[in-house]
Amino acid sequence: MKLLAIIFKKELKDMLRDRRTIFFMIVMPFLVIFLIFNLSMRLGMNMEKRAQEKELRVAVFSSAPLPGFVRLLQKGDKVKIDTRVARAEIDRAVNDGRIDFAISFADDFSESIDREESSEVGIYYKASTSENERALGRIHKVVEEYGKQLLNVRLQKKNLTTAFVEPLRIDDRDVSSVREKIGQRLGGMFPYFFVIFCFLGAMVPAIDLAAGEKERGTMETLLVSPASRLQIVTGKFLVVTASGIFTALASIVWLYLVFRQSRTVPPEVLSGVLKVIEWKSLLLLFAMVIPLCAFFAAILLSASVFAKSYKEAQSIITPLNFMVLIPVLIGIFPGIRLNAATALIPILNISLATKEIIAGTIAPLLMAEVCLVLFALAALGLLFCAHWFNRESVIFRGV
Amino acid sequence: MIEVENLTKSFRLTKDQKKEKAAHVRGNTVEAVAGISFSCRPGRIFSLLGPNGAGKTTALRMIATMLRPSSGRIAVAGFDTVREAGQVRRHIGFLTGATGLYERLTPTEMIEYYGRLHGMEPALLAKRKRELFSILGIEDFAGRRIGKLSSGMKQKVSIARTMIHDPQVLVFDEPTVGLDVITAKSIIQLIRQCRSDGKTVIFSTHIMGEVSLLSDDLALIHRGRLLYNGTYDAFMREMKAKSLEDEFIRRVEEA
Repeated sequence: MKLLAIIFKKELKDMLRDRRTIFFMIVMPFLVIFLIFNLSMRLGMNMEKRAQEKELRVAVFSSAPLPGFVRLLQKGDKVKIDTRVARAEIDRAVNDGRIDFAISFADDFSESIDREESSEVGIYYKASTSENERALGRIHKVVEEYGKQLLNVRLQKKNLTTAFVEPLRIDDRDVSSVREKIGQRLGGMFPYFFVIFCFLGAMVPAIDLAAGEKERGTMETLLVSPASRLQIVTGKFLVVTASGIFTALASIVWLYLVFRQSRTVPPEVLSGVLKVIEWKSLLLLFAMVIPLCAFFAAILLSASVFAKSYKEAQSIITPLNFMVLIPVLIGIFPGIRLNAATALIPILNISLATKEIIAGTIAPLLMAEVCLVLFALAALGLLFCAHWFNRESVIFRGV
Repeated sequence: MIEVENLTKSFRLTKDQKKEKAAHVRGNTVEAVAGISFSCRPGRIFSLLGPNGAGKTTALRMIATMLRPSSGRIAVAGFDTVREAGQVRRHIGFLTGATGLYERLTPTEMIEYYGRLHGMEPALLAKRKRELFSILGIEDFAGRRIGKLSSGMKQKVSIARTMIHDPQVLVFDEPTVGLDVITAKSIIQLIRQCRSDGKTVIFSTHIMGEVSLLSDDLALIHRGRLLYNGTYDAFMREMKAKSLEDEFIRRVEEA
């Protein structure tokens, strides 16, 4: 135990002096989170704003004049009616961007309305232009509003109210709490951050402490010391685990701080999220981060022990980055819930449990199952790593 | 004392090795060390000579408990390297040509780390560290990060690391490789000092000058087999070539 503590302390000191590790542990989570919130969210909001505020060039085609419709269209003051485009060249005009939308009423529109029948209205636009795709909602709203006006005229003629055509009024009542709603949305995104950062935080020291040591020749001197191979590998494993935990915690802290400071998050969302993030949730998340990091540390250290050099370790471990993401992504699919079976699948169980923790609906037994599964896998991983550390063909591979 | 009896070490061939299979290799394994026996006594320096790939490093790694023999037996300071590996490691100091040092630690931190791993008491560790730093001239750069030291300085730290626990047995695997003349000379002096202190010293080298300067006993190894094992003086008496180097080449070519 004393030797293990000596190895742990030395490896920790060595790791904390490595600039690459510090970058991955502290700086990278901040940069990623900051950029996601302040660039991508701002970009998304700006696009939405531009789509809403953009002056749309719209051509309206109808065999009869439609003053009511045109008035309605220009009500918002951000629509310019284009009269230069002929009906025959609608497709080309929309495609080359001369107009944003073309609204084409059927030739027999007036007759159909008079006969109290339905008439088709074609809306032409270019969906590949993301702004226009977003602005389509504005055009739909106007057409629907015009349709309602026409309907009202028909109903008045017959002395009927709108209730006649609307025998049922749907009243959606979501009984889930604000916390549950936010949990379902935010809980899907949250595992992205800490699962990836747990992995990345453990990756650099794992490569450095095994493959790096082999490359530098320090592994041989350590193997001749009185420390057993199990003590050596456990010391390294604990440091790699600690690094993963620290990185995950740093990412949660950065996420909280950046979220709080972000001007792009609407205040009602911000206050809702802050209500959700309470101490109990954070403690439960932390309880899962520990076995998750231990599980990653065991996998990464085994891969690193196998590698001949730092470079080879990087090439073995890089594809694992993507493999880790797959279960996280599966966890976001609707309909997949945490149960006794899904709690057995590593990483997916973390993804699902996080949603439940944030929504405040986690079942204690399932939470315990998730932690136990991860601890068991981490222990197996550590034993496997120690087994590899004992194999001459692995430890002296390429030496 | 090191006693090596009928020591053999076989390795499975890698894919690349299978393609370039040498004439002496049979099947899917190669015998890096094939039934060698010798003994190194306290107060004497034993040189292990051989061309590249002869099996010197493999033999030294087995002595230092890093590799397990396929067959045969090694005893270091009276302890079996397989059954009592932990005890062997407490009594051995191992120095490789490639200085295995932690570049982000200082010489002081590095030496203290290995001292603590050997279970040394803090007072004894501090005393021994002072002595070694003084003998090797490490004091001036004891607080600097090892990554910023010259190769000569690093080798001195490596030696201090090897000797911090005052081991009875010292294994030097090509200790002067890549070093400048002055640093190499200081290492040779240190190896001589170890002999004077009654320690058992085994070292491997390519440099014949070092062999003549240091050896009391020597073994010549080629393709894992022992071509000669005896005293340096007897080797010189039996010599048919003009120089030690020529004799070494003659024996290897005849084998």
